[in-house]
Amino acid sequence: MSRRSRVAALAVVLVVLALPLAWTLVASFGVTPNNNAQPPSWIGPPTLEHFAEVGVAEPTFWQELATSTALALTATLLTVTVSLPAAYCLARSRLPRDRLVAQSFLVLASLPVMAYVIPLSDLMRRVHLLDTFEGVMLAQAAVTSPLAVFVLHGAVRQLSPEWEEAAVIDGAGLLGILGRVVLPLLAPTVAATAIVVFVLDWNMLLVPLVLTGGDIKTVPVAMSDFFTFERELDWPTAAAALVVSLAPLALLVAAFHRLLEQFRLTNGTGLTSDD
Amino acid sequence: MLGWFAGPAVLGLLATLTTYSPFTTDVRFVGLANYAAVLRDPQFATAARNVGLLTVFAVPLELTAGFAIAWLLRRPLRGRAAWRVLLLLPWLVSPIASGVMWHFLLSTTNGIADFFLGWLGAAPASSPAGDLHLALPAVVAIEVWRVAPFVAFLLLPGLESIPRERWDEATLAGASVFGRIFRVAVPGMQGLLLTVSMLLVGLALGTFDTILILTGGGPGTATVTPALYSYDAAFSTNDWPAGAAAAWVVAAVVFAVGAVYVRVARE
Repeated sequence: MSRRSRVAALAVVLVVLALPLAWTLVASFGVTPNNNAQPPSWIGPPTLEHFAEVGVAEPTFWQELATSTALALTATLLTVTVSLPAAYCLARSRLPRDRLVAQSFLVLASLPVMAYVIPLSDLMRRVHLLDTFEGVMLAQAAVTSPLAVFVLHGAVRQLSPEWEEAAVIDGAGLLGILGRVVLPLLAPTVAATAIVVFVLDWNMLLVPLVLTGGDIKTVPVAMSDFFTFERELDWPTAAAALVVSLAPLALLVAAFHRLLEQFRLTNGTGLTSDD
Repeated sequence: MLGWFAGPAVLGLLATLTTYSPFTTDVRFVGLANYAAVLRDPQFATAARNVGLLTVFAVPLELTAGFAIAWLLRRPLRGRAAWRVLLLLPWLVSPIASGVMWHFLLSTTNGIADFFLGWLGAAPASSPAGDLHLALPAVVAIEVWRVAPFVAFLLLPGLESIPRERWDEATLAGASVFGRIFRVAVPGMQGLLLTVSMLLVGLALGTFDTILILTGGGPGTATVTPALYSYDAAFSTNDWPAGAAAAWVVAAVVFAVGAVYVRVARE
């Protein structure tokens, strides 16, 4: 395939993938199609008022945005803090079946949230964590940790143990090894994992939907009740809310795209290809 | 961490053998009656059929489309970083937001399809999300739109890590594009493809967010999934035991797929 035909093919793919998003972006500025005209035309001068209307239709939207941000940040931090030692210990455990254990973490990561959220909500109620920031944060961290363990396990397996042996001779403990040897060497992978986990946390619906009841509300939960029996949000306002909820992630990924190239899924052995 | 997971899981599993519910004090042991009731419920059978079809169609399409995008991005290209970011954007849209967005994009007044149909002089078409036969294919298409970019993101490093000599050998042997895909790329990243497939199957079997707003499971029961069935049972109709039991059926299927994954990945 020549370079030119590859660029042409990519352009076609980009149009298909990005057209719905572009449609939403222009709608958020009040520019919408008039499909009743013949031929269809566009209505409306661009305006910013629909972004203000989000706050009218959903008075707590900006509060929800702050909650989502704080939740995703703390849950991501907790996931990475717990997963890195777990992944390290698993990779260096010399267990005969550490690959099987790692693959079990992947199966756990594939388990739909719905499979366990019903009993979890009851448990959270009993320990008085229902509808609290901490409750949602702990649950979200638990949901994303298996994937983080699997990815970080693959990364640790790629590290030569010699680095750690040198630190052990210098008298470093587990935390010392992790903080002074493993973390600096794996920093790009850990950061890439954190970004992916942040995206998953930011977009998570079922956990906050089931574990909250009004005090704590995230943006995805707010979107789930944009449409009720009483109301249906109009398209430009919904589009503005969609744009606001997507923009932080788009900026994050654009800013750290080099780091994200370090995100590697493996087959459980630490190798991405089978050589 | 495992305790955080396993504790509620075991308790929840045991509770599905009783009439336990947070809303009742009358708890009796009923054995497998909850499971029998769920498996006999025609609504659950429909949900299982829907999610089965969704998985069978969406996962291969996501893998194929994702692989194709990764293939196009494999070799050096001007502005490759920008292409990668732009082509990942749909995955950044949350499933619930994707449902909201497509609800409007498929509608007659603001939609994409009718805009272009209008240009062609065709009559506006009603939203496929409201059509008995088109709703499920529409959900598949929307999930492929959202997930294929993520698959491309996951597969690209695997493609890049295949040693250059392998490609050269294939080219010297006169392999076509398909020859290089099936004799170099696929064997070279079997493990990664299996891992991604496992994630995609779990994702498809748990489909919930996307359909919640887009179709709400409808029209009728055309797009009900077991996850939506569980959610409605546990939190809307207060049939907690049915919801929890149905959720465990989905978990059992995912674990069965996981057992196959672990077995195949070992070889």
